[in-house]
Amino acid sequence: MTLAQRMKTLAPRLVGANNEGVLAIIIVVLIIVMSLLSPSFFTVHTLFSIVRSALVPSILAIAVLLVIISGGIDVSFAAIAIFAAYTTVHLAQQGQFDPGIIGILLFACAIGAVLGFVNGAVIARFRLPTLIVTLATQGIFRGILLVYIGSRYIAQLPDSMAGLSTANLIAIDSSRSYLPLLVVPVAVIVLIVAWMLRRTMFGRGIYAIGGDTEAARRAGFPVVRFQIILYMMVGAIAAIGGLIHVILNRNANPQDIVGTELDVIAAVVLGGASIFGGRGSVLGTVLGVVLVQLINNSLLLMGVPTAWQRAAVGLLLVVGVGIQALSARRASRRTFVLDTVEA
Amino acid sequence: MPIRTHQSAAGQVNSRIDNTVRTWISHIHVDRGIGRMLVLLVIAFALFAVLNPRVFMNPLNLQNIMVSAPEVGILAIAMTLAMLTGGIDLSLVSIANLTAITISTMYTGLVGSDPALAESLGGVIVLVGIAVGVLAGLINAFLISTVGITPILATLATMQIFNGIAIVWTGGKTLYGAPQALSAVGKSTVAGVPVLFLLFLVVAIVIGLLVNRTPFGRKTQLQGANPTAARFSGIRSASVLYGTYLTTGLLGGLAGVLFVTRNPTASADYGTSYVLLVIVIAVLGGTNPMGGFATVTGVVLATLVLQVVQSGFNAIRLSSYEYSIAQGVILIGVMVFDQLRFRRRTRYVASTQTRNIASMSNVGEDADETPDTAGADSVETK
Repeated sequence: MTLAQRMKTLAPRLVGANNEGVLAIIIVVLIIVMSLLSPSFFTVHTLFSIVRSALVPSILAIAVLLVIISGGIDVSFAAIAIFAAYTTVHLAQQGQFDPGIIGILLFACAIGAVLGFVNGAVIARFRLPTLIVTLATQGIFRGILLVYIGSRYIAQLPDSMAGLSTANLIAIDSSRSYLPLLVVPVAVIVLIVAWMLRRTMFGRGIYAIGGDTEAARRAGFPVVRFQIILYMMVGAIAAIGGLIHVILNRNANPQDIVGTELDVIAAVVLGGASIFGGRGSVLGTVLGVVLVQLINNSLLLMGVPTAWQRAAVGLLLVVGVGIQALSARRASRRTFVLDTVEA
Repeated sequence: MPIRTHQSAAGQVNSRIDNTVRTWISHIHVDRGIGRMLVLLVIAFALFAVLNPRVFMNPLNLQNIMVSAPEVGILAIAMTLAMLTGGIDLSLVSIANLTAITISTMYTGLVGSDPALAESLGGVIVLVGIAVGVLAGLINAFLISTVGITPILATLATMQIFNGIAIVWTGGKTLYGAPQALSAVGKSTVAGVPVLFLLFLVVAIVIGLLVNRTPFGRKTQLQGANPTAARFSGIRSASVLYGTYLTTGLLGGLAGVLFVTRNPTASADYGTSYVLLVIVIAVLGGTNPMGGFATVTGVVLATLVLQVVQSGFNAIRLSSYEYSIAQGVILIGVMVFDQLRFRRRTRYVASTQTRNIASMSNVGEDADETPDTAGADSVETK
């Protein structure tokens, strides 16, 4: 095998199924450019602060990734996340008891799963468009939270949660850099979901449903049951994201998280997941989240007003998705196959 | 043999009657979509009139409903157009805000130097504002049609960009000031009906004619119902998509003008709840979110229903969060109801088909239930 041939077979593997390689290269280039531009960028402190700010978006992005792979889109996950987390803290505070971190986690996940079940049941049973259903449930969940559960900001967390918010995995006091302990559960969840998507029948089923629902049904996947389980799982993962957000912020504010949906969806789509379903990877999603956080952080360091962040993420999305769309169009022209999706 | 021909003739007559009845039923179906909104409107109105007549039936309150309906209604009509092609436009509210901010900035800039000139240039300022909306629509159309990005992602991104520009422009603050002529229009009424409401009706009629009576409207419907069929019928999807998103941009800009007309202020985060509301109205008004079918009349009625509900919620002292719960419940309720009725209808049609054409026995029920057939069916029978 000549070198050129070897390069040819190597290149697609490095690029990855969903352009993960390209994303990684962009991130590395961005890091190099920023390090040259600003001496304060290439430090442990920056690394830790980016990791810290990426924790909650990563968890939420993993939840959104599952929905997008299955061919849907979810905008209610942020409402579910804060609903579950705030309700848990609120009840613990009202009842003057502390069920311990495991109890809190289980309770929040249960709430998240119930809300996810509402989404899943409506979507799977009646085959309604996911965007519109989740837009509606977003309004419902948020309304119920603020009207019937509480709209007050809670500054005092249960002790078991408060203890976690100051726990660090690595603490370098000299440069005031701290890596929160919560990195561990986030990493565990990310790895479990990655394993589930690759190795389990359920994971493959989600890809199959996203690729072609009818084909998945005829192949014997229980589509309705899988979709309902999927949305319950998404709800539970979102609830964990909400809890981590509350712990990191050391307070529970019912107005939080809602409003960041689009940033998370943008990160997932940048990570190579196809909005039509059937494509996407955990690695790409995590890289997408890191890229968005990196850009936000870089803009801040370069002295660009925070007001530009929103426009920057939008621009990033246009460029990322635009390149994918153009290359898909070129590929379909090359193979002379009529692609009905593109029309 | 004669018996056989007699049978086939009877069969022909039978299937003809069957077809006629079916078209007839589907006409009722369309009318019922509008009729249902009318019923809902009357029920909602009566309910709040009974619950709190003193506040709700106050002429001022009724006029308020008519003044606040147009901006939401025009955005909903724009959303309907986007949905007609099978797309969606999430950036509408951001476009409207950008227009409002443009108008407010230009006016306050001119007033600083020459107040009289600023007033006389009011019309030009408004036109520039609307041009900003059209430009935003052009960007959407370019991304969706030329680049080929899915409408939901393209408009998600442009929503972020337009909103981001608005935040940077205003610095997150609320701008004050708009041409006084506009405010005067906003306050004026004709026979007790606010001019803004009449403007809304005019826009609705124009778009209704555009959709139902022009070649462009027909092409848009076919494009939404079945893009492949549209392409093989020689319809250029690019011209349809450009036309659609330029129009939604124009309507977004118009809504932005109404923002400043109603209230001489502009800010980047005005009407953030409208994104959901506008989709609710469009779907409630009988628009198929998968494309291919929509009625502007239904959307106008749905706008009024939701405005009445909102105003009624205010009158009986329920919060805006309770209103958002109501919106969500109404949206899911109507969609589930439609879906159930649609399934029943297709099941009926499928069974008669299998009886009529016995040779095509493998016409599956599932194949008939896909949403695409819903769109095609509605257009064809309309």
